[in-house]
Amino acid sequence: MISEAQQSDWFLHHLSQSAGIMPGRGVAWLDALRSDARAAIARLTVLNRKQEAWRYTSVEPLLQQRFITAGTDIGAFRNLDIRPWILPGMDAFRLVFVNGRYLPRLSAVDDLPEGVTVGSLRTALSTDPGRLATWFEQQQGRSDNLFTALNSALINDGALIHIGRHVVLRKPLEIVYLSLDQERSLLVQPRNLVILEAGAEATLVERFVGSEKTTGFNNHVTGIQLSGGASLDHYRLQDESDRTFHLSSISLSQLELSRYRCTHLSFGGAWARTDCETLLKQPGAKCELNGLYTVGDGQLNDFHLRVRHMTPGCTSRERFKGILHGKGRAVFDGHIIVDKDAQQSDAQLRNDNLMLTRGAEVDTKPQLEIYADNVKCSHGTTVGEIDPAQIFYLRSRGIARTKALSMLSLGFAADISNEIKPEPLRGYVERRLLQKLGGEPDGDNLSEHHV
Amino acid sequence: MLSITNLKVSIDEKAILNGLNLEIGAGEVHAVMGPNGSGKSTLAHVLAGRDGYRVTDGEVRYEGRDLLALETEARAHAGIFLGMQYPVELPGVNNMTFMRESLNSVRRARGEPELDAPAFLRRVREQAQLIGLDPALLKRSVNEGFSGGEKKRNEILQMAMLEPKLAILDETDSGLDIDALRVIAGGVNALRAADRSIIVITHYQRLLDYIAPDRVHVLAGGKIVRSGDRQLALELEQRGYGWIEEDAA
Repeated sequence: MISEAQQSDWFLHHLSQSAGIMPGRGVAWLDALRSDARAAIARLTVLNRKQEAWRYTSVEPLLQQRFITAGTDIGAFRNLDIRPWILPGMDAFRLVFVNGRYLPRLSAVDDLPEGVTVGSLRTALSTDPGRLATWFEQQQGRSDNLFTALNSALINDGALIHIGRHVVLRKPLEIVYLSLDQERSLLVQPRNLVILEAGAEATLVERFVGSEKTTGFNNHVTGIQLSGGASLDHYRLQDESDRTFHLSSISLSQLELSRYRCTHLSFGGAWARTDCETLLKQPGAKCELNGLYTVGDGQLNDFHLRVRHMTPGCTSRERFKGILHGKGRAVFDGHIIVDKDAQQSDAQLRNDNLMLTRGAEVDTKPQLEIYADNVKCSHGTTVGEIDPAQIFYLRSRGIARTKALSMLSLGFAADISNEIKPEPLRGYVERRLLQKLGGEPDGDNLSEHHV
Repeated sequence: MLSITNLKVSIDEKAILNGLNLEIGAGEVHAVMGPNGSGKSTLAHVLAGRDGYRVTDGEVRYEGRDLLALETEARAHAGIFLGMQYPVELPGVNNMTFMRESLNSVRRARGEPELDAPAFLRRVREQAQLIGLDPALLKRSVNEGFSGGEKKRNEILQMAMLEPKLAILDETDSGLDIDALRVIAGGVNALRAADRSIIVITHYQRLLDYIAPDRVHVLAGGKIVRSGDRQLALELEQRGYGWIEEDAA
C-alpha cells in the first residue's frame, strides 16, 4: 500500500527531473501553463480506489516504479533502421518519435498539401508559439488529473497536426511512437495537438510500439479539436511490450456537424489505460468510438470513456469488445452525460467481453446521466464465453480445438476489425490477435481473391 | 466400414441408447428413422464425437479402428462427416475462410498438399453451383442470417468439399420445402460412391423418395427395433411408428 505522502513524492520526484532544454521558455502563456500544472500537482487530491475513476484500476503497480525522464538527445537513433517498424504496404505521411523525441530523418512528411502543418510540437513551440496559444487555450478547463498535469508541467515534444479549412488529406497520416530503451525505464510524455479546421478531412493512425523488453511509462496527452463539418477517422494501436505502463489521455471537442470516428486497438502493456473525454459542443456533431482489447497473464487494460452531449441533435456510438485470456484483467467504464439542453440526443454504448479462461476478470460499467427529456439513449454490456456447440462444429470439420478457439475469437472481434479501413493495419491487427490468442497467422488472404 | 455393437449412451445419467447394433458396408446408404426422442440425434453426435455424452457400454469400429477413442477432429480427418440438424451460426467467421481451413486441416492430416486460394475457390464455386447455394453466402459469416434451407445447403456443400467416407446426415430434410429437398437430395446422390457410405437420419420418409436407401432401420427406445428395405419406410409412412413401438415392447 502506497501512502499519500509516497504518492506526492512520486509526482514531485518525476517533476524535478531535468528533461533538457524546454522549448518556448520565456513565452508567457507557456510558462503559465507549465507552472499552473506544477501548482495543480501540489493541489490535486491523490489517487485512490475510493475515487470512481480509479475504483477498479490500481495505480500502485505504476507508482511503485521510478522512471527516468527521457532526454532530448536523439543522436543514438540517427542511424536507426525504421523498416521493421513500418507496416508493409502502408502508404502514409509519417511522423516518427523515438522515446518521445521527434526524428525528422525517419519521418516522411514531404508533399503535404497546402494548408497542412504536420511536425514536431517542440519545433513549433520554439519557432511559432503565438500560433499555438489559442489552440492550447481551448484545451484549458478540461478535467485535469495528476498525470495530465505531469505531462503539462514538462511539456516538451509531441505531434502537431493542423489541417486547414476544407483541406482533404488523401493519404492517412501516421504517427509511430517507438519505445526502444531496454536498459532504463523511461518516462516518455508526448503531447499532441490535432486541429481540423472547418470542412477538413483526414485519417490519423497512431501506433505505440517498441522493443519487447521495454519497461517504461508512456504518459500521452492528446487534444483534438474538430471545427464545423470537419471529419477525422482515427486509429490508435497500442501494442507495446507486455512490461510497459501506458496512459493515454485524450480530450476531444467537436463543433457543428463534425464527425469523429476512433478505433482503439489495445493489445500490449502490463498496465494500460485510456481516458477519453468527448465534448459534443454544437448541434449535429457525431462521434463514434470503437475499441478492441485483449489481455492475458500479467496485463491490465482499462478504457474510461466520457461522452458529453452539450447541445441538441448530436449522436454518439460506443462499441468496445474485449477478449480476455489467462489471468488478464480489463476495466471498461463508459459514461454518457446528456445536458439539460441537449434534446434529440442519440447515444448508444455497448461493451462485450469474451472470456476464454476462468482466471480472467473484467469490470464493466456503463453509466447514463441524462438531464434532457427527449433523447434516445441505450447501453448494454455482456460478459460471455464461447458456445461449446460452435467449438464442436469446427472440430467436427477437422479443425483442431486451439485453432477453433482462435477462429471464433477473431470472429468475435470481426465487427470491429473489419471496419479498419487501412488494409495493412487491418492485416496487422488480425495477425496480432491470432498470435496473442495462441493461434497461427493464416497464409494468403482469401479476401484478396474474388469468388 | 462401420460396425456398432451393443452401444449404450447416456446424458446426465439418463440412458438414451440402450444396446444399439448397426452394420454399414462400404458404398451403402442406410436410413435411420424413428419417432422424436428415440435417440437418432444422439447416435449422430456420438459418432461425430460431441462432448456431453457418456458411452457406458459397447463399441464402434470404423474401418477396423476404435472410433470412440478418436478426438472429434481426428474423426473428421479419418473421413467422418456429420451434416447437422441445426447448424450453428459462427458470427464473424467468414464462410470461405472456414471451409478452406476445414479442407486443409483434413488434407494436412491425410498427408495431402493444401489447396492454394485459387484452386480452393475454383472448387468451392463449382460445388456451390451444383448445390444451388448463392455464392454471396460464401462471403458471409458461417450460417449467420442464413435461411433454414441455406444452412442445409451449406452443410451439403461442406460435405461435397470434404469428400468423406462416412457421411451422417442428421434430419437434413427438416424445414425444407420440396424444391430445396430435391436439390439437396441431388447433391447427396451425386456423392454416392462405391467407397462412400451414408447414414440418412430422418423422421419422415419423404426424403427417401429422392435418396433411395439400401437399408432402412427403425430406432425406438434407444435401439434398432426393425430393419428392412425401402418398403419398410413406405410402411412407416402409412402406419406411423406406433405399431413398431408396440411390437418392440
